Amino acid sequence: MSDNHTPDEKPGWADNPTFIRIFIGILTISAVAAALAGLNPARHNPHPHFGIEGFPIFFAIYGFVAFAFIVLAGQHLRKLVGRKEEYYDERE
Amino acid sequence: MSASSIFAFFAGNPAIIMMVGALMCIATPRHLASPILLIATALSAIKLSMLGLGEYGAITLFDNQLTTLRLDPLSRLFAIAFHIAAALNIIYAWGQKDRAQNFATLAYPAAALGGVLAGDMITLFVWWEIAAITSVFLVWAPGTRATYVSGMRYLAIQVLSGVMLLAGIVLLFRETGSLAFDFVGLRDASGVIKLSALVMFLAFGIKCAFPLLHTWVQDAYPKSTISGTIILSVFTTKLAVYALARAFPGTNELIYIGAVMTIFPIFFALIENDLRKVLTYSINNQVGFMVVGIGIGTAGALNGATGYAFSNIIFESLLFMAVGAAMFRTGTSKATELGGLYRTMPLTMTFCIIGALSISAFPFFAGFVTKGLIVDGAGGVNIWIWLTLLFASAGVLEHAGIKIPYFTFFGHDSGKRPKEAPIGMLVAMSIAAVLSIGIGVFPEPLYALLPNQDQIAGYEPYTAYHIIEQLQLLLWAVLAFAVLVLIKWYPPEIPSTNLDVDWLWRVPGRALLSWASGASRATWNALWAIFTGRIQALMARIYAVHGPEGQMARSWPIGFMALWTAVLLGFVLILSFLA
Repeated sequence: MSDNHTPDEKPGWADNPTFIRIFIGILTISAVAAALAGLNPARHNPHPHFGIEGFPIFFAIYGFVAFAFIVLAGQHLRKLVGRKEEYYDERE
Repeated sequence: MSASSIFAFFAGNPAIIMMVGALMCIATPRHLASPILLIATALSAIKLSMLGLGEYGAITLFDNQLTTLRLDPLSRLFAIAFHIAAALNIIYAWGQKDRAQNFATLAYPAAALGGVLAGDMITLFVWWEIAAITSVFLVWAPGTRATYVSGMRYLAIQVLSGVMLLAGIVLLFRETGSLAFDFVGLRDASGVIKLSALVMFLAFGIKCAFPLLHTWVQDAYPKSTISGTIILSVFTTKLAVYALARAFPGTNELIYIGAVMTIFPIFFALIENDLRKVLTYSINNQVGFMVVGIGIGTAGALNGATGYAFSNIIFESLLFMAVGAAMFRTGTSKATELGGLYRTMPLTMTFCIIGALSISAFPFFAGFVTKGLIVDGAGGVNIWIWLTLLFASAGVLEHAGIKIPYFTFFGHDSGKRPKEAPIGMLVAMSIAAVLSIGIGVFPEPLYALLPNQDQIAGYEPYTAYHIIEQLQLLLWAVLAFAVLVLIKWYPPEIPSTNLDVDWLWRVPGRALLSWASGASRATWNALWAIFTGRIQALMARIYAVHGPEGQMARSWPIGFMALWTAVLLGFVLILSFLA
């Protein structure tokens, strides 16, 4: 099985605040760049199904809102269906 | 048939070659099992590559022609994917000693392969049932009471699917007189749903894990062993996807069924603590995309559905393998007990992220080059289906793209510092990772295998529009994740059991069955008591009359007898006078 960490262990690279800052910086720049790229009409769908596809940052907004909705609304499902871990063990 | 023709018949079918390999490992020394399984898979693949497109293995059964082996572009695509998955699983579980598991590791893929290669419905049914029976050994493999009970539930549902398939075949044969496994269609020419087709549709729907028929996946798969879960994740649902693509392409109902399949697992996956169970919800979600594509039924959407099935088999396996490797080293797959493993399992982490990027359909990864065909096809249906699939794409990113790698390798530090995964697991994961990137960067070989070549010939996945659209959707969704984590709105994992519709038969259904069993026993006992009471009363009466103390048993005086004899003689005398 697994070994456990030792007290004098150095923090890992992913826990380094500098790494986290750089990662979030690159992510933000990429996301903004993708949104800006959508402003160029030449980069729009030449055969759109719906008018909304012509809105330059539609996919950016939809991705952000959809993700936030899934996480913020979805966690309340726990109240409805969440039970203790042994729920079925005690009944079967 | 002569002995040589029988041998040629069996040796000519890749599925039978695989099955023989699986059977051989039961009788040979345990340390030879993995090489035997891999050699059998290789031989089966060689046989498959030697077969040209066409129909083989014809046999006659009760005056009906059966085609036990049909290789066309659709079946070939799935057959190749099944070979890749089988080989990956064997390598991943290299050195596994459990005979039952080793047998099922190849017998179950062999059965699924036989199913996709079946040219008639009887052959399909036979392989369909063999797949059900062989796969349950993987559910039972851990050998606990929970897995035994779960395996029985799994088997009951799988056999129900088989029985319904047989019923559908019989009804369809009565209508058409044909056993060929081709397009069936849900409705007749006048638009009325055919009973035969409906029964068959539901049989496929059970194995495809349609909404409300899906819980066997979450119930059985995560309870299997580490390698068992990975094998299970591939074959049954994809065999059903193939069967739907063969028999029900363009069935409108499938669009809406598939759309629901892409949405509801997202929310269950969000709140699930067991990461292997999260991935089983991911199976439902991913198969949902395929089902939508089959329902749309255009050449492009069918290419998308089948191509996505092919690449999904690889990257979904990769995610299962990465979580399995973490579980192998730490003994758990629960998010609350994992985290921080990137320090000591960097290779597994890298492979997991490649799987996550692939399933999320980032450009230059496998999901991207085929998913666009389905989403584009959905645009031709209506805006709601199109928006649903885009929403579901953000959901895939949440539970499979972020949650799996984040909670396994990053997130809160569990303090566990396990060794890197064993070499067999690393080799299997690296092959799957290379394939995931390879398909994404060079999709042409996969495109060459798709069933509708005319459509795919003019398709270019890497247009500026497609890349920008996808990057906007995914990067802003990742940004949403980063924001939610930074402001501490992302919910922590909580150890729990989350109820699904199977609660209905596992708790109240079980209680009802228990009550019905008790009630029927009590009713029988009561009826039996009444019956035996009546018999006893009758016997008591007979005894009272005829027993030693009864009236009929008392001693009769001779004078009494003489008197009665005289009375009778007198009566006879009177009668003779009258006559």
